[in-house]
Amino acid sequence: MSATRRDEQKLWLILFQIRGIRSRLNLLTGQQWLFTTLAVIIGGGALVLLAAARLGPLSFLGAALVILIVAAGGLIGAARRGWAGRIDPMRAAGLADDRAGLKGRLTTVLALAETVHRGQLWPFLVEDTYALRDNYEPRRIEPRLVSRSLFALLAALLLAALATPDLNRGGASRRRAAGPGAGGEITADIDHLEIQPADPALEPNAQIYADPETLRRLQEKLSAGGSGNKSHGLGGLMNRARQFADAFQHKLTGRNSAAGAPTRLRLTERNPAAHGADGPRKGGNQAQNLAKNSAGAGSNGMSNGAAPNANHAHRPGAPPVASIPGAQADQMANGNPDGAAAAAPESNPNGANSNANPPEQDASNDAGGGANHGVGADPGHLFGPAAPQPFGSDSFKIAIEAEPSDEASAPGSPTYMPPRVRVPLNPNQLPDEPIARAAVPADDQMTIKRVFDR
Amino acid sequence: MSEAQAAIAQPTISDFARTFRRIQAEIHKVIIGHEEAVEELLSALFAGGHVLIEGVPGTGKTTLVKTLGLALNLSFGRIQFTVDLMPADITGTRVILSAAEGHREFSFQPGPVFCHILLGDEINRATPKTQSALLEAMAELQVTVGANTYPLARPYFVMATLNPIEMEGTYPLPEAQLDRFLFKVRLAYPGEDELVRIISSATGPEEAGVEPVFPAGEAAARIEGLKHLVREVLVAPSIEQYAARMVRATQPQNSRALGDMHSRVRVDSVDRYVSFGSSPRGALALIMGAKVRAMLDGRANVSYDDIERHAHAALEHRIMLNYAAHSDNVDAAQIVEQVLKAVRATRA
Repeated sequence: MSATRRDEQKLWLILFQIRGIRSRLNLLTGQQWLFTTLAVIIGGGALVLLAAARLGPLSFLGAALVILIVAAGGLIGAARRGWAGRIDPMRAAGLADDRAGLKGRLTTVLALAETVHRGQLWPFLVEDTYALRDNYEPRRIEPRLVSRSLFALLAALLLAALATPDLNRGGASRRRAAGPGAGGEITADIDHLEIQPADPALEPNAQIYADPETLRRLQEKLSAGGSGNKSHGLGGLMNRARQFADAFQHKLTGRNSAAGAPTRLRLTERNPAAHGADGPRKGGNQAQNLAKNSAGAGSNGMSNGAAPNANHAHRPGAPPVASIPGAQADQMANGNPDGAAAAAPESNPNGANSNANPPEQDASNDAGGGANHGVGADPGHLFGPAAPQPFGSDSFKIAIEAEPSDEASAPGSPTYMPPRVRVPLNPNQLPDEPIARAAVPADDQMTIKRVFDR
Repeated sequence: MSEAQAAIAQPTISDFARTFRRIQAEIHKVIIGHEEAVEELLSALFAGGHVLIEGVPGTGKTTLVKTLGLALNLSFGRIQFTVDLMPADITGTRVILSAAEGHREFSFQPGPVFCHILLGDEINRATPKTQSALLEAMAELQVTVGANTYPLARPYFVMATLNPIEMEGTYPLPEAQLDRFLFKVRLAYPGEDELVRIISSATGPEEAGVEPVFPAGEAAARIEGLKHLVREVLVAPSIEQYAARMVRATQPQNSRALGDMHSRVRVDSVDRYVSFGSSPRGALALIMGAKVRAMLDGRANVSYDDIERHAHAALEHRIMLNYAAHSDNVDAAQIVEQVLKAVRATRA
């Protein structure tokens, strides 16, 4: 066999090993792309499911968008890295040179293998590189057969496995948190209601019932207040976003967030004679639901926010203000017959309910997470003495102006909306006056002077 | 065929490394320290270039060159450059001689450039006109006097020394001449241990004897054979690109262009401090130096590290700094170091 033929065989073996290195490295690059892509998809999906289970609709929408954007970036990045990480023979030779300390031998052999005039030292280079072939075996250049990105995939799978049971737990906790608070009842006087459209993003979840005359007056008030305008602009957008998020959330979690019982607002009339109507007690059993809406966090916030005010709103002179969420106000203003008809069987069986909050409601306030701000937050206690509560009276006043908030005080807890109470200043409050400077007795003057001199 | 003849005919990589180490050893019998400078000097010799040696007086510049001449067993010439030195004093001149037949004729008397190894001592003390007389000899290995051109013997190796102090009354070398030196080697002050060894060897009763590495009459051919072998070293295109990228990174205008192509190559200090970067001769110097380095390492191919090995010696004297660099006390070595860092990131 001629020397040239032997050189060609050695060259072929060197090139074969370079091909082996390239295949191994490309396999790892492909694995990295595949595992990273799967990890991003699975991890992102698990996070979206977690968000659907634990967050309110708007928070979920925001979180889902963020997750979507990050996941899209991750997928693009993985694809780009995969594309850039492709190994051609020259790069494989370069990597092998670096890792095996071959000082450019493989790169040079590969680069000059196809050239015609290789020079006087070419056989020496081939022989020298062939002699070092053990140093650049593919398994020595890259010992791994599986990419490390497998760990990312495993982590994503673990996250998904953790998210699945949490889907059920999260729903249960939401139902638990929504249950007691939503089942509460508030009684308010129709004369003291000031009806304003609320934030359209706040989902209604209240049943209002009263005797027919009171309801008729409520309709009049709603019409007079012009609250029948459909929500539009930013509010409308928020509403639509909320509805979309809600529907998506329900589709993902497979359950209806209306599991919590709605808050019941009982309307009464303090002075029925003036309007030619029966008293609230009388109408209690004829209660009629005006509206019924499925609701989640928003309704809980309303019930929690209303309760403390109801406890302390018995002072004379406090202006009663009740704000009804926009959608519900719309529904009421339009006299939605469907809503009323559907809600009729939900009427309060204890129609002649007293104005005192039931213990369950107080408990729900406590359970609401942050709702337990109690007396200290009620400005009624800041100005003048508290008025004695007329026990057993129906004519207590309620002032509610609630704003939606999706910030929960604890993960999984219902949304808390702090009450905003408008109370006029106490007319008996004396203005602040400076304290008159007292005259220093003559004996003390000398003592003070000595002290200062010292 | 004798062994010597075989070595002349077909030297191998191991012959080269062995010869190189022998010459180094002989030089270090006299020159204490300066290992890197000696290696660069010999690399330039086998790469076929010339060397500019910069060092303060007393650091052994002249001794180094003389010792090299002795070790190589080649003819050695020395020119002490002064202000009044004329070109003819270097290249040689035509004189009128009386012939045996009685008539007179012009005859060329070769100057000191006609040798194998030439030491130009303190070259910056001569006028540019005289300095330029060396240009043709260095670049084309020939001397033209009048209408006649005389070839120089090969190998031809010029070593010029520069004294960085006492700059008054000196003429800095023009860029064109600087560019013709393959490497610029710096001889620094020796360390304490080296100085002690210098004292004991230079003041002792016995003088260190340098033995010629090559037999008389064979030296030139052997050295030419080894120089030819150096040229045979294989260079991958990626390595050539690396050297080209390094040289272009020293050029302010190209450094900006490179910055667009390879964002990691842009060197801000080049933009700020360099007036003119290295010429293409810089790239040739990098490659030739790398080839010698590869041969010394027993390889027939050049690696990235070989290119970087002589980057300072090959590029520093080819980079012209601007006033801002002098003002900020930035020297060419710092520029080359930053270029190396930047270009290293673009390795394939």
